Amino acid sequence: MATFFGEVLSVYSRAVEEDDDDLDDENEDEQIHREIEEKREVHIAWCPEVAQSLEDSGSNKLQCSDLIIAVGTNAAGFLSAYVLNTESWDAVGHVSLWNERSRGSSRQSIALLPGEPACLFYRHRDNPAVLVCQSTCYIAEDQLFQWTEKVFGCLQKRGLSVMVLSDSPVAEYKTPDYLYGSAVPFLRSLKSSASESQALCPALEQPNILTGLPAAVLSHCQVHQIPAVLYQCYTDVISPDSITMETYKPALLCLSKLVKLEPCLSADVLRKFAIITEAQSNLYT
Amino acid sequence: MAARYDRAITVFSPDGHLFQVEYAQEAVKKGSTAVGIRGKDIVVLGVEKKSVAKLQEERTVRKICALDEHVCMAFAGLTADARIVINRARVECQSHRLTVEDPVTVEYITRHIATLKQRYTQSNGRRPFGISALIVGFDYDGTPRLYQTDPSGTYHAWKANAIGRSAKTVREFLEKNYTDEAIATDNEAIKLAIKALLEVVQSGGKNIDLAVIRRNQPLKLLESKEIETLVAEIEKEKEDEAEKKKQKKST
Repeated sequence: MATFFGEVLSVYSRAVEEDDDDLDDENEDEQIHREIEEKREVHIAWCPEVAQSLEDSGSNKLQCSDLIIAVGTNAAGFLSAYVLNTESWDAVGHVSLWNERSRGSSRQSIALLPGEPACLFYRHRDNPAVLVCQSTCYIAEDQLFQWTEKVFGCLQKRGLSVMVLSDSPVAEYKTPDYLYGSAVPFLRSLKSSASESQALCPALEQPNILTGLPAAVLSHCQVHQIPAVLYQCYTDVISPDSITMETYKPALLCLSKLVKLEPCLSADVLRKFAIITEAQSNLYT
Repeated sequence: MAARYDRAITVFSPDGHLFQVEYAQEAVKKGSTAVGIRGKDIVVLGVEKKSVAKLQEERTVRKICALDEHVCMAFAGLTADARIVINRARVECQSHRLTVEDPVTVEYITRHIATLKQRYTQSNGRRPFGISALIVGFDYDGTPRLYQTDPSGTYHAWKANAIGRSAKTVREFLEKNYTDEAIATDNEAIKLAIKALLEVVQSGGKNIDLAVIRRNQPLKLLESKEIETLVAEIEKEKEDEAEKKKQKKST
């Protein structure tokens, strides 16, 4: 390019790809991208027995008839209180991942501290085709697809049926009507088209949508024609709370057909799983 | 729809809502229930006691506060906001006494509190107070009064009202049961307040705090023993009623 003063400047044209220059920088960028991808990879770790049965089955898939996923602290607390406390469940695996909100622990063992955000799998001793997954850690949008593919990649698709329980703040619930205090918390359901089960609560109305892990799981089930039903609980409490956990009780009807459940639960057991944060209890009088 | 008009207090939505004020009213519903009853010669304030942490001094967690010798209030909502409002009201009560040489009327101090609250719904950069208050007392001519204020700065006089978590249930109970016979005597008015609270309070009398003002007498906070006695009386009356109904049915 000739300038006004007559000097000639070499200017880079954006129309032409310059392969020779900045090769090192590109390499560095690529390397950084690769490192970030590796860091953000989703890993599933199974316990030795399950890893063995995965190897023994020719297709590297587990026999699973029912998968129950709990997303959020209240859903996980409900399962812990009503389903997982009958001593007949084994912890069989966990998912470890890293993102800005979920700095996953470097501990590879399955025994994670209670209360720590995590993603754990449990299997019933008498009925090993029933798997429960409790997910309380945050899974970033770019990791959701990986999570779903890797988890469902380990499970036999035929005969599989999925139930998802998920928490959501009621502030996200859009409705033209005013929600009186007594209506909250409440359940709404969503099903994949392959699901023939009767929903035990009203369906989620438009324009409400699901996001995050529940949406990823339900989308996967819809695409692969797996019968799936989701129960979303809208609650106005931030921390795990026994009243919110009790809202999931209609789901017990389906679960009791699969496994033996605790017949009735005292409020004390529920309170054990509910955390009363000090700040919250002094804020309002 | 709400999302675009609810971030600033000074913005109306196209359909006339002040969302921040309405959200402040939601904050009130997070506080425990308080009920106020206006009797003939007594005014009663009853509150659901908050569960106190083990190491916390119970005395410092009070929902009922005296504003002057003849006026007191109970609140529901944000604790810190209530403290500010109460302090300003107390100062105003004394300032009034010194300036005008008369104690405040209940309506005056309620109007002062309500004006303060309204100011905070029209200012830039400030949020509304997240409390509703029940203000009770006697004017110097001996009339009992009960007023209720809310975060928007409105106030009204009531014969009986409730605020806080299960206010709707308690108000419905009061609408059915507030009759002239029910408040005929002081004791009956106190029992009506307890009965209203028992509709929504779990585990009975030990979770109830009660305060009364009688004409020409200062505020009195009932001790837990007295409350337990009254609760026992109420339960016995309920049993007697049930017995009578059963006998009527069988004859």
